[in-house]
Amino acid sequence: MYPTAIGMIELEVLTNRPACASAEAKSLSGFDLLNRLLADQQSLSAVDQFSNWHGEQSGPQVESRVDTPRYRSLLPATPPEAGQQYAFEVDLDRCSGCKACVVACHTLNGLDESEAWRDVGLLLGGSRAAPVMQHVTTACHHCLEPACMIACPVNAYEKDSATGIVKHLDDQCFGCQYCTLACPYDVPKYHADKGIVQKCDMCSSRLAVGEAPACVQACPHEAIAIRVVSREQVIDDAEAAVFLPGAPDPQITLPTTTYKSRRPFPRNLLPADYFRVNQQHAHWPLVVMLALTQLSVGAFVVGLLLERLWGGHMEESLRPLHAGNSLAFGLLALAASLFHLGRPRYAYRAVLGLRHSWLSREIVAFGLFAGLATAYAGAIFGSSYLSLEWAKSLGVSTWIEGLGWGVAMAGAGAIFCSAMIYVFTRRECWSFARVSLRFVLTAALLGIAALWLSILMASVMTPTAQLEEVVRKCGPTLCRALMGVSLFKLLWEVAIFRHLLFQRMTPLRRSALLLAGELSSATLARFALGALGGLLMPAMLLSQFQSTPVDSGIVRFAVTTGLLFSACLAGELVERYLFFAACAAPRMPGGIR
Amino acid sequence: MTTSLDRPRNSLVSLPVLFERHGPLTEELLLSPSKFGIGLTPTGLQPQALVPSVCGYCSTGCNLNIHVREQQAVGLTPVADYPVNLGMACPKGWESLTVLDAPDRATTPLLRNAAGVLEPVGWDVALSTFVERMKGIQAKHGPASVAFLSTGQIVTEEMAFLGALAKFGMGMLHGDGNTRQCMATAVVAYKQSFGFDAPPYTYADFEESDVIILVGSNLCIAHPILWQRVMRNPHRPEIIVVDPRATETTMAATQHLPAYPKSDLALFYGIARILIERGWIDRPFLDEHTTGFEEFAQLVESYTLDAVAAQTRLSPEAILRFAESIHQGKRVSFWWTMGVNQSHQAVRTAQAIINLALMTGNIGRPGTGANSITGQCNAMGSRLFSNTTNLLGGHDFANPEHRRKVATVLEIDPETIPQEASWPYHRILEGILRGEVRGLWVIATNPAHSWINQRTARDILDRLDFLVVQDMYHSTETAQRADLVLPAAGWGEKAGTFINSERRLGVVSKVKRAPGQALADFHIFQLLADAWGCGEMFRRWNSPEAVFQILKELSAGQPCDITGIEDYRMLTARGGIQWPFAAGSDEPEQERRLFTDGKFFHADGRAKFLGESSRPLPEPPTEKYPFVLLTGRGSAAQWHTQTRTAKSALLRKLYPSELYVEINPHDATQLAIRTGDLLRIASRRGELSARALVTPGVQRNQVFLPMHYVATNLLTDAVFDPYSHQPAYKACAVEVTRAG
Repeated sequence: MYPTAIGMIELEVLTNRPACASAEAKSLSGFDLLNRLLADQQSLSAVDQFSNWHGEQSGPQVESRVDTPRYRSLLPATPPEAGQQYAFEVDLDRCSGCKACVVACHTLNGLDESEAWRDVGLLLGGSRAAPVMQHVTTACHHCLEPACMIACPVNAYEKDSATGIVKHLDDQCFGCQYCTLACPYDVPKYHADKGIVQKCDMCSSRLAVGEAPACVQACPHEAIAIRVVSREQVIDDAEAAVFLPGAPDPQITLPTTTYKSRRPFPRNLLPADYFRVNQQHAHWPLVVMLALTQLSVGAFVVGLLLERLWGGHMEESLRPLHAGNSLAFGLLALAASLFHLGRPRYAYRAVLGLRHSWLSREIVAFGLFAGLATAYAGAIFGSSYLSLEWAKSLGVSTWIEGLGWGVAMAGAGAIFCSAMIYVFTRRECWSFARVSLRFVLTAALLGIAALWLSILMASVMTPTAQLEEVVRKCGPTLCRALMGVSLFKLLWEVAIFRHLLFQRMTPLRRSALLLAGELSSATLARFALGALGGLLMPAMLLSQFQSTPVDSGIVRFAVTTGLLFSACLAGELVERYLFFAACAAPRMPGGIR
Repeated sequence: MTTSLDRPRNSLVSLPVLFERHGPLTEELLLSPSKFGIGLTPTGLQPQALVPSVCGYCSTGCNLNIHVREQQAVGLTPVADYPVNLGMACPKGWESLTVLDAPDRATTPLLRNAAGVLEPVGWDVALSTFVERMKGIQAKHGPASVAFLSTGQIVTEEMAFLGALAKFGMGMLHGDGNTRQCMATAVVAYKQSFGFDAPPYTYADFEESDVIILVGSNLCIAHPILWQRVMRNPHRPEIIVVDPRATETTMAATQHLPAYPKSDLALFYGIARILIERGWIDRPFLDEHTTGFEEFAQLVESYTLDAVAAQTRLSPEAILRFAESIHQGKRVSFWWTMGVNQSHQAVRTAQAIINLALMTGNIGRPGTGANSITGQCNAMGSRLFSNTTNLLGGHDFANPEHRRKVATVLEIDPETIPQEASWPYHRILEGILRGEVRGLWVIATNPAHSWINQRTARDILDRLDFLVVQDMYHSTETAQRADLVLPAAGWGEKAGTFINSERRLGVVSKVKRAPGQALADFHIFQLLADAWGCGEMFRRWNSPEAVFQILKELSAGQPCDITGIEDYRMLTARGGIQWPFAAGSDEPEQERRLFTDGKFFHADGRAKFLGESSRPLPEPPTEKYPFVLLTGRGSAAQWHTQTRTAKSALLRKLYPSELYVEINPHDATQLAIRTGDLLRIASRRGELSARALVTPGVQRNQVFLPMHYVATNLLTDAVFDPYSHQPAYKACAVEVTRAG
């Protein structure tokens, strides 16, 4: 609009002229004045002027922000000795809820837009005569047994042997986010753009040079200090459950932060967000990965059982088809899992955590499973080209069957590892019984459904009398088994709603509230799909077996089995989505939301 | 972000790295030592210079060192040796720079077109439209038919420019500031009691008191950096908080008096009566330095302990204990904020507090005082230099001597100076309703959100022939209703001075370029003066520094004399300077208080006792509207109508995203609701829905709404203090039901 003005802006910046020389401005008016002022506005010459004054005034004697008696009193006089470590100490009587610590953490550490490693929650309670509102500043507790570190499959966490600080190695992290599930305090935060997790390191670089951490520096009320604590004391405190009202059980990770207050806490003190039930992150790649790995393992096992129970082999065309299908789903699952990693190119680092991380173990176990399954499927494909007699004479079939059971064992082991990943978090909705039963039932249900898919494909591609024979023989049992597993699983899942009747706000009640409230459409879809694929379709198949010959109703058969498989799979995918989204996560007391 | 491509070891020929302790991601967050005493600083954000600048939110007046690198403001740290904040800042201050980069910054003038849409235009069009329309209205309806609404958020030099330009240059008669909403009461109370609008204290008083009395103030949240001074008090002070609601501040108090809403005036009269009755007063001080005590003693005679206990719903013991604490204290300081200022009998309540300080001799000594804590960063600048209620420099429009003095300093014809003060804010709005005011110029404030009884306020604004909004953001509720939007540079993008609560002048620095064609308010005034044809009158007003020299001249001989301050450089070097500081005075101490000699600003040198009977709530609860609605500040991360604080993603994390209402557990049980449930709250003027926050902190039959959410003022009742004309935001009657 004012091309001349832009030229002048450039000139101003380059020449750094003092703003608005009065003699000139006096005579200017109209367009000239406008251009002059637009240019002035873009000039930062005052910066030099002010910083010069400031420099003159304070020079090298400028009072340091970071080295003052005030800060020294908030830092330990001596470093920790053996059996001790650094820890945050929060004086709740001095925490007024201004939240300067949060913003200083963000600013002084150069973090992104809304990132900060500290948060402030609020506890409410007390009586009419003595109401209590207690703000609580909280960051990483630098635990004695950090769940993040134990969970990490790539050893991206280290607990410093001298200071006890739990440090995250950003470049080692591959972004699996398992630590974000494992930490009961919701401390590690995933940075999607970087593809890694990051967290508080107690400003270890500042402590190393005797400076106070950002939050300690910035608290106007000196509520946060760094102290040396003895590890024994931390354990004793955790045993006595002395930590903070409304906070997760300290026995899980042995947090070292001390919350002190001269006032006794009233018994009814609750976090301001206590009644808020928050939908959790869905982790879609994990949803797909879990459902499909379980399908794959289940399908292999069901295939093997079929052969064993009804003797001999499945029909010529069905056998390789089913092995292929089972393998394909397994590989698809593993591919999906890669999408969960922020930096999948470092997936190989997962082997590092084998000694402590269930995620490492899961990855290795599924690697083994995939390897064996590929070999098994390959062997079945290979053997289907050989003459049966010749193969029998070589004992190939026994060998292949052995391999098959190897696949099943590896798969079962891998599913066990999958389950343990969640069990490790000690969330009530992810207890061993809940997770393992869920995963095993899914494997059984989808294993059977997958066999129906294979049968369908074989019936369409290479319909034979032998195939029909197999279907006639096994079909009703497969249908009944599927209906049994489905009915059991659906009823068991419905059972969570009994928690709605209870008064207490238990984690399971939170899950039930989420399922019945915010997530109700997904819940409905889950049960509709489960009933359709696991009960209705197998029931229709059963009636088809009883009434009409299969070949006469191929279209009907195809539609029924197709729907059976898709609904079962979709139902389990939604179920797994809810497994994540509705699992109430523990966390430190939050603020008003 | 660095990717594997940048690093040879990750190329195809090298082996995969199994363990990587250090790398680009670690380096991104690496800290390195910096000069300037700010300690370790993110390596990529190392400053080349620090430029100090007084914060642009509240009146505490913290000083922030802006980190400048390659002519860019890259960060900030609070100044360690500034006597106000001692190296600290609240979340708003820390995030000051972030909010300047918001996408809804106004970057060009916007003019409402024929289709009713705001459309970008050049400054030339904007300026000529402003002049044409405003002059047109004045030609038809008289000079007073155009008015302005200003702010406590711009620098003093700009305030003075605006006031002088509008009144002396453009011939407007009426203009007021949003300071009417926060400080008017303190102004009038001080003026009447002390003879000048003069908060007597210095922040060190917080550290020196042995009894600290906070009235209607949630200092922890509203002024966290002042709370720091309370926490540093080494005398284990008695902290007494008078507030109907439990807050962060009452939690830290030794006595909390949850008086019934707006029963505080009766409470203080009751306390005065007890002090008098027991002889707990400073007779020599009263005799020597005050007038009107006997009449006042008569007035409070009827405020017996029982009567006051009944009115305040406090126990007689609690009231007695309060009075005893005042008596026993050697250095008692009284502090008040909006709980006092925003009420139907605000001035008298503030004066009741002043009276307590006077009668116990708690003034003019360290750790004492009747101290109003200001709201906005430059409310004090506005009080002295906005040229609205007072003539520039704390002068009186009605006084011919004052007019002559100002005219001489400004080298203008004394006849151009109006002989009466402006209408207050609500009278200007009433003027619009009556058709007396038809053109309005709103600068850096957001009445469509902040004014009391919002629906009516908006309706009034919509009746204007021509509404001009000058603001940093085009998205404010008021800018959205404007006919013309003038894009303004914000704090950090321009220079000038602020005056904080303790009368300290501090320098605001220009450290950032304004976006697009946004201009400093100062420059906009220069352009409008030129376009209006009165450029000649303001030829000396060519930079903030030059105007500062004019302001000094205007202050000469006034209680707020600042003629001893040479320039910005001196202000910066001395860590700010409190007024008064007349030319020829001794080297200013960093912390000074007023009335150390017992001399007040009335002609007789005495302070006046003022008071009148307390009045009941203007809108008491009824059967239909059984709750009293309290309003106030929500969190330290929110500022007023949130035009700025809502622009920081980090600050947004620190306050509730949805409007919430605090409600007592007893009432919650009655309504069968829990924290998080939706409530519908209705007054006679409007209704809203808010999430319940159940807490015993609010009393039964009272609810509290934070003021930062736009819906809150749908409910408030347009009642004003008769002296200060400040809106009574703090109490009205509402109905509370379950939503849906």
